[in-house]
Amino acid sequence: MSDELRQLAKAISKVENLDFQALADAATLPLDSAAVHVIGVTGPPGGGKSTLCNQLIKELAVHHRVAALLVDPSSPFSGGAILGDRIRMQALVSNPNVYIRSLSNRGNVGGVASSLVSILRLLMHNGFQYIVIETVGAGQSEVKIASIADTTLVVSVPNLGDDIQAFKSGILEIADILIINKADLPGADSLYSALRESAQNPRLGWTPPLCQTVATEGLGISALLEEIHRHGHWLRQEGRLLEKRKRAAKFEVLELSRMLLQKHLDSVPAEVLARNLNRRGINLLQKLDKIYDELLNTFSEV
Amino acid sequence: MTPIRVLIAKPGLDGHDRGAKVVSRALRDAGMEVIYTGLRQSPEQIVLAAIQEDVDIVGLSCLSGAHNSLFPKVVEGLRAKGAEDIVVFGGGVIPDADIPGLLAAGIEAVFTPGTSLEEIVSWVRKRVQKNHE
Ligand code: B12
Ligand SMILES: Nc1nc2c(ncn2[C@@H]2O[C@H](COP(=O)(O)OP(=O)(O)OP(=O)(O)O)[C@@H](O)[C@H]2O)c(=O)[nH]1
Ligand SMILES: [Mg+2]
Repeated sequence: MSDELRQLAKAISKVENLDFQALADAATLPLDSAAVHVIGVTGPPGGGKSTLCNQLIKELAVHHRVAALLVDPSSPFSGGAILGDRIRMQALVSNPNVYIRSLSNRGNVGGVASSLVSILRLLMHNGFQYIVIETVGAGQSEVKIASIADTTLVVSVPNLGDDIQAFKSGILEIADILIINKADLPGADSLYSALRESAQNPRLGWTPPLCQTVATEGLGISALLEEIHRHGHWLRQEGRLLEKRKRAAKFEVLELSRMLLQKHLDSVPAEVLARNLNRRGINLLQKLDKIYDELLNTFSEV
Repeated sequence: MTPIRVLIAKPGLDGHDRGAKVVSRALRDAGMEVIYTGLRQSPEQIVLAAIQEDVDIVGLSCLSGAHNSLFPKVVEGLRAKGAEDIVVFGGGVIPDADIPGLLAAGIEAVFTPGTSLEEIVSWVRKRVQKNHE
């Protein structure tokens, strides 16, 4: 058991390090299992995402194998990172049904790590039934999680101040379930009124419910779990889950292509890149377009 | 290119966490990925976290005086799980007289108060590089 876990952990590292063989091996593993539910948790820094994940995982792991992927940002200066989400999940480490892995976003914008979908394939292959992903603390633009998770939970907290506008115009839109955490704090009621309207907006046939939780006390968790299961059930009808997974698989191709491009661009000094765009303008863009076109041909062979 | 992954852990009931945090930040600033588990971890929990996170190296911090019983248990736990390639080192308020015993138990280096952060960073880098060769 622990041996298998060790191998999984090592395989994840290889994928994370963009080892071509490991990525290619992962790509042969199916992503379409309806027996797996991928739950994404996003929201502002310090909103209680890890504490909430801890509560959800504890409940889910009573009867199922659960994996958690906890993404934290890397330092733009050193590329290093302090990955501290585990601190809120100390009791889970010795639960044999639970696997917890901290990931750096390695400079990737959008709130997640670029190899995340490949890692999902590995976890599905290893028989995890629930996969919980915590994104980096998110504001407006960290919406990539919605391209990866089956069910996206967006956490909000009282007293965001002016950030509430940014919140409403940004990540609110990707919520399948909207959560007011820290509902024990003053301001929770006015946040509830502020979000109720947006929450009740049906989107493609699903109306995001609004849940209230106190993650530190475990309050509201069972109601939240019911909504998660209800969404999971809804997704499994009319092929919706498969559509989600197809989107995740496309996202995987996009992210890996982008990472490779970035790797090559990073090897050229910034001023050289800029000078070339400046001098060769339209020719350069046309050439790029042609290269992408050829790339697309490679990817679209039937 | 591949960042070094480090687990920094505080075994036992010791609540002094400044040193662990200062060392974590120094390793982060040197480009490493540092997983910090927080206070009050049992040796068994530290071993499991190290395996789940696939770290190269585990750094233990102890200022309470319980290092002689706690540090070796982490080394033993890793060996029992076939993860003896994960390096263990540590630091904190540790009397000089205890250091030879810890080294003999498989804790590969011990850094006491006043050690410069550069010294710690460069030791970690060299030690992990050696493992990768
Ligand atoms: C600050 C401090 C506190 C603060 C802690 C705040 C915090 N959140 O950390 C407070 C006031 C809370 C506190 C409380 C207590 N303290 Co106190 N405390 C200290 C003090 C003065 C400094 C520690 C410190 O933060 N240093 C700064 C950091 C950066 O240094 P450092 O931790 O030593 O880390 C360096 C190295 O040791 C090493 N290192 C440390 N960890 C690691 C890990 C790795 C992987 C590596 C590579 C290196 C490494 O690298 C660092 C950089 O050089 C020390 C005395 C001293 N001079 O050490 C006593 C001391 C540690 N405390 C002591 C005691 C007894 C206590 C209490 C029991 C007191 C009491 N009776 O209430 C409580 C217990 C608290 C608890 N729950 O465990 C004793 C311990 C005695 C012993 N070991 O036998 C000491 C040594 C004081 C003394 N001389 O008696 N304490
Ligand atoms: N009052 C109150 N505090 C909470 C609640 N949930 C979490 N917290 C506290 O909020 C702080 C941050 O919690 P985390 O779970 O680390 O938040 P996070 O969103 O994961 O933080 P990052 O990953 O750093 O963005 C901690 O001190 C928690 O104890 C809650 O429901 N009520
Ligand atoms: Mg967190």
